[in-house]
Amino acid sequence: MDDQSIVRLEDASKYYRQGEVDVRAVDGLSFEIHKGDFTALCGPSGSGKTTVLNLIGGLDVPTGGRVYLEGQDIGLLSRSKISAIRRDRIGFVFQAYNLIPVMTAYENAAFVLTLQCVPERECRERVMSVLRDVGLDGLEHRRPDEMSGGQQQRVAIARAIVTRPAIVLADEPTANVDSANADSLLRLMERLNHESAITFLFSTHDQRVMDRAHRIIRLHDGKMESDEVLT
Amino acid sequence: MKLGKMAWRNLWRRKRRTYITALSIGFGVLLSVTFTGVADDSYTKMINTSATMGLGHVTIEPGGYNETPSLDKRLANASSIRDVLLSMAGVNNALARIMGQAMIASANKSIGGAFIAVDPVEESGGLNLFIRSIVQGQVFSGSDGQGVLVGARVAKKLNIGIGKKLVYTTTDVNGEIVSEIARVTGIFETGVSEVDGSMILLPIDRVRKILGYGPQDATLISIVITDQRRVASMRDQIRSRIDDPDLEVLSWRETQSDLASIITLDKAGNRIIQLLISLLIAAGILNTLLMSVMERTREFGVMMAVGMSPSTLFRLVIMESIWFAVLGLILGIIITTPWYIFMHNHGIDFSGMVGNDYSASGVLIDPLVKITMYKESVTGILTGLFTLTMLSGIYPAWRAGHVPPVESLKEL
Repeated sequence: MDDQSIVRLEDASKYYRQGEVDVRAVDGLSFEIHKGDFTALCGPSGSGKTTVLNLIGGLDVPTGGRVYLEGQDIGLLSRSKISAIRRDRIGFVFQAYNLIPVMTAYENAAFVLTLQCVPERECRERVMSVLRDVGLDGLEHRRPDEMSGGQQQRVAIARAIVTRPAIVLADEPTANVDSANADSLLRLMERLNHESAITFLFSTHDQRVMDRAHRIIRLHDGKMESDEVLT
Repeated sequence: MKLGKMAWRNLWRRKRRTYITALSIGFGVLLSVTFTGVADDSYTKMINTSATMGLGHVTIEPGGYNETPSLDKRLANASSIRDVLLSMAGVNNALARIMGQAMIASANKSIGGAFIAVDPVEESGGLNLFIRSIVQGQVFSGSDGQGVLVGARVAKKLNIGIGKKLVYTTTDVNGEIVSEIARVTGIFETGVSEVDGSMILLPIDRVRKILGYGPQDATLISIVITDQRRVASMRDQIRSRIDDPDLEVLSWRETQSDLASIITLDKAGNRIIQLLISLLIAAGILNTLLMSVMERTREFGVMMAVGMSPSTLFRLVIMESIWFAVLGLILGIIITTPWYIFMHNHGIDFSGMVGNDYSASGVLIDPLVKITMYKESVTGILTGLFTLTMLSGIYPAWRAGHVPPVESLKEL
């Protein structure tokens, strides 16, 4: 594994049983994600995109093979260690925003920094700066139910990048927003990738995401169909 | 955002549910205060009343007197012991008394009864139930006279009244039968029929002479203390001050074991009722917290996905149960205070239901039910309910942290 490699999957598999049927959600997958990548995992529903993100994010454990994050085999780590890695090294953006409803935009964005026990002044500076970056200046006191879907997803992006993670895992980030907001969010993530060298890995079947990705990994039935680097 | 602040906000996601749960805790405070306060008040009244029926809260008596009371067992230096006792903090009064059995006879009839010989100068209504309960006449004036105070049913049985004579017969220190005439100066009615039907009060110096006792002799010293709850420690202090192997220093629990058993049984029943009430309240809190946790399964999954550890999640839910406890206890104090003030100052009179003769183990029970709370009971109730609420949060908190995030995120 070279110095630039952030994520590496080696013959990673995830099988589970659904009723009487064995499901091979991920089946012997191997690839690497490098620092600064802007990669899209594509494929139809049930192709294993979300499962791959869950394995990389330590939310799920592989039933076979290995998943490395910054050189550490995630399958060998304790629950508390995985929690710490998720907190410090990974940013998550979910399809359904998943903001905490009792918190304001500022508090949602600051949530992970609070878990990291970042001093209040530094926390404030970083959160306000990120909220400005994602275009939410002035909306920091709003709660999720007072914001549009696009604004909520921006807060989710702010929450994901405010800790300066090694990688942001975004699961269908544009699926729940209209096309104008989707374009705007993609431009934002592209800019963050370009200006701040934040690594993004998306799961998507949105063509707009694929059009902007630098690399597209196509999955089908849990297996890699193609791995295409775009120029 | 601090965990406490977040937990507080979580409480208000469903206001009505929070208020109902907090009210159930508050209602628990009200019930606990009522049960504990009524019991504390009635036990204190029973113990204090019983203490003024002859034996006091603490009794000093000759060795073996408690098991086999007999007039030949006596204290030879009652006055000097009394002086020592009166110098002790926490002792309200100490009174030398002679207690014994007697045959009481009038011109028409005789009955078996009991007497307490007292010094009328030292006694008062506050220290002596019989003097407090005089319904006709008055207590005899001197300790060496021939006056007698009789129970109302004794007077009725013997068909005597104020100014009439009776003869009491007992045995002296040598076991010889002795008799004396006395004239009725007063009639008392305690409300306890067996007491009113058998008890007479006599002047102590006269009885000493009849029994052949010395001028300082008595069968016991009855000690009334300022706070009956401290009886065990007072007994031990008195025991170490007196330090005489021939004497026994006993608390009311030892001299009136029937009353002690009744109170112990009643307390046990009371605790079982309170435990059941507590379990009901705990089930309500557990239900609320569990529902609140299950509704937020996905949210907890997100929190864990972004790095919150299961232990922090556990603490968050426990923090919510702490807020529930604080809110419930505050509500409890608000709704209980007016009830307590009313019940402490006025109470509810049940004499219409139970009549005037309502006693247990020969001790009058006041049909006016009031509430009295002691500091330790208040602390116990608040601490108990707080702990109960916290304990109710443990399972939901554990559950919140133990659903794998990947499963939580699948929840709608």
